[in-house]
This record gives sequence, C-alpha cells and structure tokens, in this order.
Amino acid sequence: MSSDVERRPVAEIGVCTLVVAACLVVLWQASSLPPGTFEPLGSAPVPQATACIVILCCLVVIFSAARWMRKQDINGDPGITLKQHVHREFSGRSPYGALVMLFSTVVYTALLHSRLIPFGVLTFMFLLLVIWALNDFRRQAVIPASITALVFGFGTQLVFTRIFVIDLPV
Amino acid sequence: MDLNALITAITQILSTQALLMLVIGTSLGIFVGAIPGLTGAMLIALTLPLTFYMLPFNAVVLLVSMYVGAISGGLITATLMRMPGTPAAIMTTFDGYPMARSGRPGRALGLGITASFVGGLIAWVVLLTITQPLSILATRFGPFEYFTLIMMAMVLIASVSEGSLSKGLISGLLGMLISMPGVDPATGMPRLTFDWYMLNGGLQLLPVLIGTFAVSQIIADALDVGRVTERSEVNSRGVLMSLQDFKRHGVNMIRSSVIGTWIGILPGIGASIGSVVAYTTAKNVSSKPEEFGKGSEEGIIASEAANNATVGGALIPLIAMGIPGSVIDAILIGALTIHSIQPGPTLFLTNADIVWGIIATCLLANILMWMMMTSSVRHIAKLIYLPRSYVLPIVMVFCVIGSYALNNTMFDIWVMLGFGVVGFLLERAKIPLGPFVIGFVLAPLAEEKLRSGLMMTAGDITPIFTRPFSLTFTIAAVALLCWPLISDWRRRRRVQ
Repeated sequence: MSSDVERRPVAEIGVCTLVVAACLVVLWQASSLPPGTFEPLGSAPVPQATACIVILCCLVVIFSAARWMRKQDINGDPGITLKQHVHREFSGRSPYGALVMLFSTVVYTALLHSRLIPFGVLTFMFLLLVIWALNDFRRQAVIPASITALVFGFGTQLVFTRIFVIDLPV
Repeated sequence: MDLNALITAITQILSTQALLMLVIGTSLGIFVGAIPGLTGAMLIALTLPLTFYMLPFNAVVLLVSMYVGAISGGLITATLMRMPGTPAAIMTTFDGYPMARSGRPGRALGLGITASFVGGLIAWVVLLTITQPLSILATRFGPFEYFTLIMMAMVLIASVSEGSLSKGLISGLLGMLISMPGVDPATGMPRLTFDWYMLNGGLQLLPVLIGTFAVSQIIADALDVGRVTERSEVNSRGVLMSLQDFKRHGVNMIRSSVIGTWIGILPGIGASIGSVVAYTTAKNVSSKPEEFGKGSEEGIIASEAANNATVGGALIPLIAMGIPGSVIDAILIGALTIHSIQPGPTLFLTNADIVWGIIATCLLANILMWMMMTSSVRHIAKLIYLPRSYVLPIVMVFCVIGSYALNNTMFDIWVMLGFGVVGFLLERAKIPLGPFVIGFVLAPLAEEKLRSGLMMTAGDITPIFTRPFSLTFTIAAVALLCWPLISDWRRRRRVQ
C-alpha cells in the first residue's frame, strides 16, 4: 500500500517544487505592495518573510529527498525508474477510484455552477455514477447504488431545505 | 472557579434543545469515529454550516460533544480492524487488535471505553480548575506577548508533527501564507489578490477546512476503496471493568490521563502525540513490557486514557488564550468567530455562558459517551463494515453543501476542491496537515498583534526581548527550533 512507503522522495520533491513556485508568485505580488504610511511595517513584509522561510524549508526537504534517492540507488534498488517511484508513491489499490471521485466531483460542481439541472436530480446522478464506478461497474451494485442515490440525492435536498433551511446550489 | 455558573450551564444543557444537541453530537461523534476514513475534524467541519441558525450555546454543545464522541469512537475500529477510526487511536491498534483476535474483543473495548471515560474526567477537572486563572494571566499579555506566543505555538506544532521539522514548518507557514490574500485590515488595501475581486474577502476558513481535511481524506480513501478487512465478532462479555481492574490499572490510568491533559494543553499537538507519549511511558514503567504490542491491557488503557484526556487539555488554551490546542480546536475557534464570539482571555467576561457551556458539555458528553458505548458497543461495532464505496460519495455531497452554505457562492466549492487536492498532495509528500490549518487560523491574529505592537512602539521591536513573557516565549521558540537539529547532530556524532 502506498501509505506504507517509508519515504516518498518523488512526492516530496514534486510538492515542494510546486510550493516554491507558489511562494515565488507571492514574493512577486508582494513586491508591488506600497510601504506602510500610518504604521511602520506595511502590507508586504509579513508575506514576504513567510514566503522566504517556506522556500528555505522546501529547499531543505528537496535536498534531503534527492540525497535519500541517490543513497537508495547506490545501496538498494538501482533499477527503480522514476515512473515506478511515482506509481509507488501516488497509487493505492484502486488508483482509478480516486480519479473517478475527483473528476466526477469537478463535473458535478461545474454542472451545479451552470444551474442547468436541479440539485436533487444532479446529486442522484452523481451518487449513482460514483458508487457504481467505485464498485467496478458490477451489475449487482446497480440496485443498492440506485437506492442509496435516491435516498441521499433527494433526501439531502429535503432535509437541507425543509429542516435546516440552508440554501443549496441550484 | 464559579460553581454556580457551572451548575447553571449543566442545567441549561439538560433542557430539551441543548440535551438533544448533546445526544446527537456524542452519538454522531462515536459513529463517525467508528467509521474508518471519517474523522472528528471532518465531522465538525461539515457540521459547522448547520450551526449558523442555532443559538451559539446549542452550537457549542453540539460541536464539543462531537469532539468527545469522535475521539472515543476511534477505538472500535482500532480494536476490531487494526485500523484507527481516528488518528488518535493509532496506539490502541497495537494491543486492542491482538486482544480482540485472541477472542476477547469485549474486554479490549471495555478497557478502552472506561479508560477513555476516566481520561476525559481527569482532563475535565484540570479544565475546570486552571482555565480561569490562566485566562486572568493572559489578560496581562500585550501584542508582543501574543505574537511571540503564537510563534512559539507554531514552532512547537511543527517540531512535534509527524515527519521532519522542515515539513512541519512548511505546512504551518503555508497555512499562514494562504490566510494573507484579501483586504489588509491595517491599510484597507487589497493584498495578494492578483486583481481578482473574489479574493478581496480572502479565503474563508470553512471551505479551506473542508477541503484540507475532508476532501483530501476522501480522495486518499478512494485510492484504497477496494481494501478488504478481516472481521471480528463482538460480544459484550467483559465490557464493564470490575473494581479489581480499577485497582490493577488505576495508576496507569491516572498517569496516562495526566500526560494526555498536559500534552493537550500544549498548543496544536493533539491526541495522537498524547497517546504515543502515554503508551511509551506505560511500556517503560511496566513490569511486563514484553506484552506490549501483543494484547497488553496496560497498552490499551494508556493509549485511550491519554487520547481522551487531550480533549479537555486542548480546550484550556482555546478558552484561556484563544490559541487552539488541536486541529479540532482550530475549527472550534472558527465556529465561535462565525457566531460573533471572539475567543481569547476576555471570553470569561464577554461570553461566560459559552465558556461554562463548553466546560459542562465536556463533562456531560464524557458521561454520555461512556453510557452509550458500554451499552451498545456491539451494535456500534457493525458500523465499521459499512462499504466505503457508498460512504465516500455521500460525504463528498455533504462537503459540497457545507462549503456552499457559508456565503452561497460557487467560488467556495471550487476553493474546497482546490484545497482538497492541496491537502492530498501534502499528505502524499508526508507533510502534516494539522499545522497548515492551525497556521491558517492563527496567522491573522499574529500579524495583527505584531503590527499593532509596532505601531505602539513606532517600529521598535526591542520589547520582544525586554518584556518577560515575550522573552520567555521567544527563548522557548528558539530552543524548540534548535533542539531537533542539535539532537540530530549528536545522534550522527554518536554513530560516527
């Protein structure tokens, strides 16, 4: 299982590089902020200092992960490729499950945003599709998935509009 | 200590509406704690929007009882499936599961439930006695004391988080950075908004919280949705502890509870570290250390007493200083702010009913948790076999509704999804998420205090080093920052 991996050097390097990039954008934006007029510090120094420390810490992690990878190549698995590293660090037993979950939620949110389909109907469709997909599109899962989707799709609409009186994205 | 106020709060909770909140909160907390993949932080973040229309007192009763229930419910999955229902129950898996496999699941659960109850009670006594004096002390703090206290808390959180100090710092400071876009409160000018008007109001706590804790967890769980778990049947034999058991395990129970409470008080550390320290201590002083990890009764008691004690302990800095003692406390701070209640040392003066409500709920929820779990653990245990392929999409729908409910904007749902991916990536890189959320909550306060302090002294920073409390906090922060580096250097020297 991926979570059992003792160290995830590729993930560490990749994520820290992204964080460094984000911090550089923050530094660039903060450099255009005017200095303080009524107070000595101004708006820029706090985000600038924070971003600088984050970059420093990211460099420490990147360096340490790269060193660990190099050590592994020398002592352990010299044949392990970058692709294998990525696979080991990012995927579990059902990598497609996470992708289905993420992408169907993005589509669900986009459709909610478009306000084309009512909340109850859309939620029913979303739940039915995702539950069925997470059950590997097995035929036996269709009926329980439909019942669950029906209960929670229309049930949540009823509960949140009638009992809790919360506005739903429709 | 105002006993009259406490009795009034207890009476108020035992009235119809608040009592209903207490029962719903505790039972939902236990249920969610018992379902693998769902955590107390997730439940409380998702419940927050439902409390908008409640009285603040009822909202606090609901959220605090969920907190108590969720920490306790985690022991069921830890014992029966070797899978901690909440991160706080990790140490319980070491001995709970082997004991359950050896045919004594009822005994394992019974020890855990009673230890949780005792841990909660001892922490509650500490919460009751030291919170008010601590808040009186905290009223003497000026802006520099607050700023250095928050910095010390951030370093402490980073240094004890899972992984390295650098990763803890990245997480905490990234959380701080994320809180900075929006209109600068001191100058009234937009900052880091990229000329995007949606960012003028900054990123809201709720979508960030739901994304970081709930959505990232759903994505991570969906990666392992096909995992098959071994089943253990539960019987209720041995669920109630006898007087002899109390005599045998009393010292361990009290010691672990005190450790848990103390670790809970330290800002941002939370229940996982509390149970690890108590478990390790129990093993070190035990006459049978070889039994730890093979179904030791002492191990279960140490872990569960400590993790429940951290709940009461963590509420102390929240009430007395407005500093979260754990991730869930950071969410509770958000809940108080949403209800226009300013957490901090003046809370006892401005919203005494809320403070006593929190303290009373902590006691009543513990009692209720013990009653519910001892009487129906057999039935609750069945929850752990709910298929995740059904649970995860439903929780995702609740995440969408919860994020939208705050401001009725689709932007918040996109923010939630974005932070879900951010949280997932951070978790993959083994960067802890706790400091991220605590940094997000504390950064505006830290910046406000620093800038108002500098305005008072016309830009002079020396009061940080001349005022006794701020100097103490600064020294502690530097020591906490240097200690891992020094110990690492000493370890390497020893190896060489």
